[in-house]
Amino acid sequence: MILSARDIFKSYKDSDQVIEVLKGASLEVSSGDLICITGKSGCGKSTLLYILGLLDAPDKGELEIAGKMIDSRSNLAHEFRNRDLGFVFQFHYLIEDLTATDNVMLPQLILGKSEGAARKRAQELLDYLGLSHRLDRYPNQLSGGEQQRVSLARALANDPKLVLADEPTGNLDPAHSSEVWKMIRDLNKELDQSFVIVTHDHEAAMQANKVYELSEGVLRQDG
Amino acid sequence: MNQLEAFFLKHYIKTPKRNLFRFSFVFMVLGIALSVAILSAGLNLFQGYESNLKRLLLDSFAHINISSIYRDYIDENSSDDILDIVFEKDGVRSAVPLLQHQLMAQVDGKVRAANLMAFKENDNTYYHEYISQGKNEITFGEIIVGHYLAEELGLGLGDEITLMYPRLDQISAFGLHSVTGNFKIVGIYRCGYYENDRSLVICDIDEARDLLNLPTGYTRIHVKLDKPDNAAYYGAEIASELNNRFSVIPWNYYAESLLRLVKMEKWLIYIVFSFLVLIAGINVISAVGTIILDKTDEIAILHTLGAKPKSIKKLFAYRVGIAAVIAVIIGQIFGLILSWLVEKQGIYKLKGEVYFIETLTFELSYMNLGIVFITATILIFICIMIPLRQIQKMQVMDIVRRNY
Repeated sequence: MILSARDIFKSYKDSDQVIEVLKGASLEVSSGDLICITGKSGCGKSTLLYILGLLDAPDKGELEIAGKMIDSRSNLAHEFRNRDLGFVFQFHYLIEDLTATDNVMLPQLILGKSEGAARKRAQELLDYLGLSHRLDRYPNQLSGGEQQRVSLARALANDPKLVLADEPTGNLDPAHSSEVWKMIRDLNKELDQSFVIVTHDHEAAMQANKVYELSEGVLRQDG
Repeated sequence: MNQLEAFFLKHYIKTPKRNLFRFSFVFMVLGIALSVAILSAGLNLFQGYESNLKRLLLDSFAHINISSIYRDYIDENSSDDILDIVFEKDGVRSAVPLLQHQLMAQVDGKVRAANLMAFKENDNTYYHEYISQGKNEITFGEIIVGHYLAEELGLGLGDEITLMYPRLDQISAFGLHSVTGNFKIVGIYRCGYYENDRSLVICDIDEARDLLNLPTGYTRIHVKLDKPDNAAYYGAEIASELNNRFSVIPWNYYAESLLRLVKMEKWLIYIVFSFLVLIAGINVISAVGTIILDKTDEIAILHTLGAKPKSIKKLFAYRVGIAAVIAVIIGQIFGLILSWLVEKQGIYKLKGEVYFIETLTFELSYMNLGIVFITATILIFICIMIPLRQIQKMQVMDIVRRNY
């Protein structure tokens, strides 16, 4: 088991009103899983993903990553995010002043790898994702699909146990969108890489081997 | 420094155009450079003033002044004994007995106070190097006059001057009896120390004896040392060897308080001008705040990738810090140029009667350079760190959500 989230509760205060977004959501992710979480807009999909990624803290519930209980507020959360998790967002969030290679090197440098080793790994990953001709390009010199592939390479840089993706194709046109989905499927099959992907696109979600729907704050597996 | 910080630091240095020479940095760099330039120039000029004043004081006055305690003169025998003791010391450059007295200088109804000096051996004195016009050798009937005294009396080389000494021992029903002597000006003395240039007159010792009615002996002995800073030590030794029969006063006794005052003023200037750097620091706070706002996405992604807030803060600190250090160095270079321009300009001169010297000179001191660099760097560093605290409080969730 890579990740286990049990009875996750989360609520927000909006003026005087308390909005309960998650009401006991539970999820287990095993090695090689390609999981999609769908649901209506504003149902709490992203909130759940950020809690799974230790970017937000649940009000209640337990989170276990790689067999260890972890609290997102603890100092260890940084290490878990760096070593065991990878993130892909709807927007690429690449650092504009760094080249594609440099961007992919970042998680490795945070982990403490030497610059040479990090550069070699970054180039291998970019090559694997078909970007060997774009290594020294800056983000604004890349197409939307290429930017998202660089972002995917960065998520994979430290060989994480799990990649969490929040609407990874939400900002792409259909052609680039299917290109990224293909990439994710290939990584899942060829490298046994686990993914948890949040998307509102039901059709795209069908490419996953497990699909969950978040409704009324609870996760339910489809099919 | 971890790998991430080292990587970014290298990146900032390797691609300064992309990272440092940005519009948001321009006013920050300009503010720091200007304030540091003013601080540097202020210290350079005050350092120059302090050194110049000390040099002139030490050149114009005896390093150790030996005079009689009980009588108003030192007789010939005592003078020889004193010289024997003084010349036994290593580091004594010269020692010369002389007559020194306050009297009046007069020309065509214009009267000014004058400080008469007449040396036993003119060859062994130290005024020679400050003769700006004429000759430094004086014979009977000749005199050397201070530059401003000559100017105030409207005199030049070859003109005559009358020295007047009121004899207190010869009071009659008609008042004080004054002894006068007429001299031909053969030299103009100008050392740059205003008080000396305005009052000094140097004449032959025999003529001075006639004028002062002092047929034998000297009023004091001027001792010059190779290292004037040792004057207090040598003075105490000489006084002890003379069994405290004579008054032995090192130069520090007269001038130390003045030099301390100048030093204190220098540090006051330093404190006041440091506030300018602090004001420039407000620009830095604003620039860093703008950069943080501009780079919230980068902060969020670095946080997501597992970088600790402390590490992220350091990346920003390095980036702004490099620009700030460059600005401080530019400011110090500007400061040097500004000091040089002030020295070279001929429009503004110091008032000698107020500031003792007339010329503004600057002196480059490594200690001052270091102090300005450290002060400016620390103040700017504090100003950089204040807005960086925001990074710690940033919620990644909010930043990511904002873009959806």
